[in-house]
Amino acid sequence: MENVEKKSADLKLGAIFVITGVLIGLLLTMQFKSSIPASTFVSDEIEAQKEIVDSFLADQSLLKNKIVGLRETIAEKQDEAKIYVEENNLEKLKQLKNVIGLESMRGPGVLISLDDGPFIDRSNAERISQSLINASDLRDVVNLLRAADAEAISINDQRIIATTPITSVGNTILVNNFHLLPPFDISAIGEAELILQRLDEEGTLTDLKKRANELKINMDIEIKDGLMVPAYNGNLSTKYLSKSNE
Amino acid sequence: MKQRIKKRHIFLLLTAVLLGLLIALQAKTFTNIGDVLNRNGRSDIFREIQVLKTTNDNLSDEVKSLEKQLEKLSNNQDALASVEDEILKYQSLSGDKEVTGPGINLTIEGQINSIWLIDIVNELLAAGSEAISVNGIRLVDSTIGFDTIPNGQILLNSVIINSPYKIEAIGERDVLEMAISQPNGILERMEKSLENVSFEVQEKDLLEMDAVR
Repeated sequence: MENVEKKSADLKLGAIFVITGVLIGLLLTMQFKSSIPASTFVSDEIEAQKEIVDSFLADQSLLKNKIVGLRETIAEKQDEAKIYVEENNLEKLKQLKNVIGLESMRGPGVLISLDDGPFIDRSNAERISQSLINASDLRDVVNLLRAADAEAISINDQRIIATTPITSVGNTILVNNFHLLPPFDISAIGEAELILQRLDEEGTLTDLKKRANELKINMDIEIKDGLMVPAYNGNLSTKYLSKSNE
Repeated sequence: MKQRIKKRHIFLLLTAVLLGLLIALQAKTFTNIGDVLNRNGRSDIFREIQVLKTTNDNLSDEVKSLEKQLEKLSNNQDALASVEDEILKYQSLSGDKEVTGPGINLTIEGQINSIWLIDIVNELLAAGSEAISVNGIRLVDSTIGFDTIPNGQILLNSVIINSPYKIEAIGERDVLEMAISQPNGILERMEKSLENVSFEVQEKDLLEMDAVR
């Protein structure tokens, strides 16, 4: 009798060991499987990605500085070549540069500052947080300023020209494909009264104004006498445009 | 008997500890993976790098063409021509001159909000459009932005524009078409969120846009 009891207890113990053994085995395999793309690699991968992005951004700054420098040198040389080039043409060129945003501009206008909510970390936030300033918010503000006939617009140090895209990749905002970080200072040279009036209208920027009222984001609007809007420092591609020669 | 139970207890304890450890490790790796996918998913970082690369290539091209231009300025005869070329280029960008080129034609039929037009134009610009017009109105620096009048009609450059909305963009046709027609792209999102709206995209060999003034 005691023998039988002992045997069944042994069997039970055996079963427990088998089950736990299998479980451990299962977990071990899962462990190894999931650790292939993860664990130590995760931080390495993020680091590597960041390095690639940073090196591209460094190149970008360098190229943009070069472009600004070259455009300045070209303008100087053209001035020096006055004797050969018709003065009329040089005047025309300057005027056109002014129109398409290749010259910096100073004047009175409105400064709109937009910033993320106080308790949000952009690098960790959910994509559609109400407390983040989105690319679409900036697009709406720029369109409103254009509708209010602003003469020149910039966001942080990026001049907005007719072909400026304002997009985002994840939570990164790109203006002229250049990374911008909050706060976003939107400078608009133009008739301040008209711009303020358009901003005050009920139907404009409704979502942005609502979020600002609920203190989810920060929005400041100031009238300024001497706003500086920088010259456009990106490329002006006309690869696909055939210009008709009148 | 007593001794055996004790042994069993120790075994169970050990395996339980092991299990606990493994579960903890397992959960940790899962949250790590989740972190990466949520925060900057692969497609995003891939796109970001792609955008950056294209931008830098374009900027390099611009540097090269400016350097060429500068070189020409040292020769008097070339200087004359180079200034004229530059004027012509800027006139085509400012809308002073009529422009032509390959591109796409997007027609949208139905009642839409001006925000959709702003976003579609933006997508086309991000894809490298060199000139865009909406219902025949070229979008240049002097164009007065989109507006909505109280009855819901859309105003562009102080002119009322109505459905069908016809957006033309000059640039690399395939790239422009892809940019708006891709899965989960702007057109798909518009189709999902609006009823009674239809659209058609056509690639064109030659689009013509009138001078603005």
